[in-house]
Amino acid sequence: MKGYPYVGPGLRQPPMRVLVIDPDPARAALVAEGLKGIEPLEVRQATVFVAADALAFAPDVVVVACDSPDRDTLESLRDATASNPRPVVMFADRSEPGLADEAVRAGVAAYVVDGLSPARVRPVLEAAMTRFQLMQQLRTELAKAKADLASRKTVDRAKGLLMKERGLDEDAAYKLLRKLAMDSGRPIGAVASDLLTFAGVLKGDGA
Amino acid sequence: MSSDLKLGFIPLNDCAPLAVADAQGFFRAEGLSVTLSREASWATIRDKVAVGALDGGHMLAPMVLAAGLGLGGAGARLIAPLAMNLNGSAITLAAAHAAELRRLDPEGAAARTARPLARLIEARRGQGAPLLTFAAVFPYSMHNYALRYWLAEAGIDPDRDVRLVTAPPPRMAEQLRSGLIDGFCVGAPWNAQAEADGTGEIVAWAADVWQAGPDKVLGVAEDWAEREPATLQALLRALLRAAQWSDAPENRPALAALLARPDYVGAPSEVIARTLTDAPEGLIYHRYAANFPWRSHASWFYAQMLRWGQIAPSVEGSVTARRVYRPDLYRVAATSLGVQPPPQDDKIEGAHADPWSLDGLPMPADRFCDGRPFDPSEPELYAAGFAITRA
Repeated sequence: MKGYPYVGPGLRQPPMRVLVIDPDPARAALVAEGLKGIEPLEVRQATVFVAADALAFAPDVVVVACDSPDRDTLESLRDATASNPRPVVMFADRSEPGLADEAVRAGVAAYVVDGLSPARVRPVLEAAMTRFQLMQQLRTELAKAKADLASRKTVDRAKGLLMKERGLDEDAAYKLLRKLAMDSGRPIGAVASDLLTFAGVLKGDGA
Repeated sequence: MSSDLKLGFIPLNDCAPLAVADAQGFFRAEGLSVTLSREASWATIRDKVAVGALDGGHMLAPMVLAAGLGLGGAGARLIAPLAMNLNGSAITLAAAHAAELRRLDPEGAAARTARPLARLIEARRGQGAPLLTFAAVFPYSMHNYALRYWLAEAGIDPDRDVRLVTAPPPRMAEQLRSGLIDGFCVGAPWNAQAEADGTGEIVAWAADVWQAGPDKVLGVAEDWAEREPATLQALLRALLRAAQWSDAPENRPALAALLARPDYVGAPSEVIARTLTDAPEGLIYHRYAANFPWRSHASWFYAQMLRWGQIAPSVEGSVTARRVYRPDLYRVAATSLGVQPPPQDDKIEGAHADPWSLDGLPMPADRFCDGRPFDPSEPELYAAGFAITRA
């Protein structure tokens, strides 16, 4: 969890930064009270969400009310791959049955019903940050698994091409691809992809 | 049949069918007791409908599809049995930029294309000025896609040559005034509001990008629609009658006054009236089969998701795009009211430069600004065929 690794003596720990989006400063005060004891800590309150300000502040967690119009902005930031995603904690003063689960499934890191109390602030924020990091890790792993699968398919197709065009058996085709990869110092998936592209051009595709 | 319903909406002129059905008694006439709930964000309406905290709501047409594709909303199964309007949105630029466009390219500005903007962007690049920032209301919205289409038609890459952000509709004008954004695409009346404030100028109407293009729909949960078929039909009939009422020119002044109320849109009625009465075909609520959920519209949204890299092509994707739009449910309601529904679920979009007739049903001109038609059976080819595309 960012902001809480063990830091040896003499090293300055980066502050935990919390951005509270709420027109009412009372909520930010409440968050600050609930996080008392965490040093260093920066709690910033903003009436509305401004992406550039948020980026500059680089919060570890964003706290926003469920009925805030900024929800669409926060959701779109999470979708954008280019911007740096942050865990978002939403809270509602009144429960809508099931809405909490739906919001969490939609990517909100935690959803607090019946408002925030100072005693609940710290466990909720910490749980949200942990959960968020776990989700990020899963997403990265999924993306890698998908890329690996795509690469394997490309290698299989390139192998098929070599078997057909050069009359090789499967093992020899794979060895040839591996040799090409080693000779050029590039991943085997990239070599396979080039081979398929060039074969397509020689056949007249895309020329 | 359950008769107590709670429906969500966002303060925009296109929530009119809901507001009118409420105020003019069309819900009551169908035996429905409806509570309208003004919501703060599209994501909240979507999630509340998905879990049953709302029975239905005013939704961005592509959002219903995006939810079904697992893009936000975690695969909530929503359907669109009725479209609420055609046209209505516009692209607004900060007043100083708009004046600069007229100076750079008076012809291009008068034609409401983005070509003068391309020159401004080029000039700013030469000066080392920061990228212009544009806001749309949601990643999966007609506003985002119309803005991107308009920019790209003039050779402006929306992901590289400008910065695109998301902002809530009622706050667009304020963000323009504070200089946080340089322009935006949003539904009425928030463009007219920026003009009334003197901070912005409308540089293109949605119809300049796509004539009579889709915009908002009624969204409900698929399982609710299956559980409550009679209630859904009563709701569709009430909204169809309210849409008919809203479209009649003689009712437009009363409509502007109604929408101005703080519990609906909450903006001055003269600002609201601008898009209802002044703009050419500014906001179409009913005529031209405006309430019909065309599957070809859903396909076009899917093609935009492909074009801008929001999703990778898949068989499942194109099937979902067709599943979420429900012309079958619309036909039952329309026929029972004597409103003629179109005989088919799809049409080639963008093929008509002039009004036309579909089996005797008057249809609007429907061209895109680049003149390129869309065949709904080929969303992948279409998306890949633009000069600027991520597909």
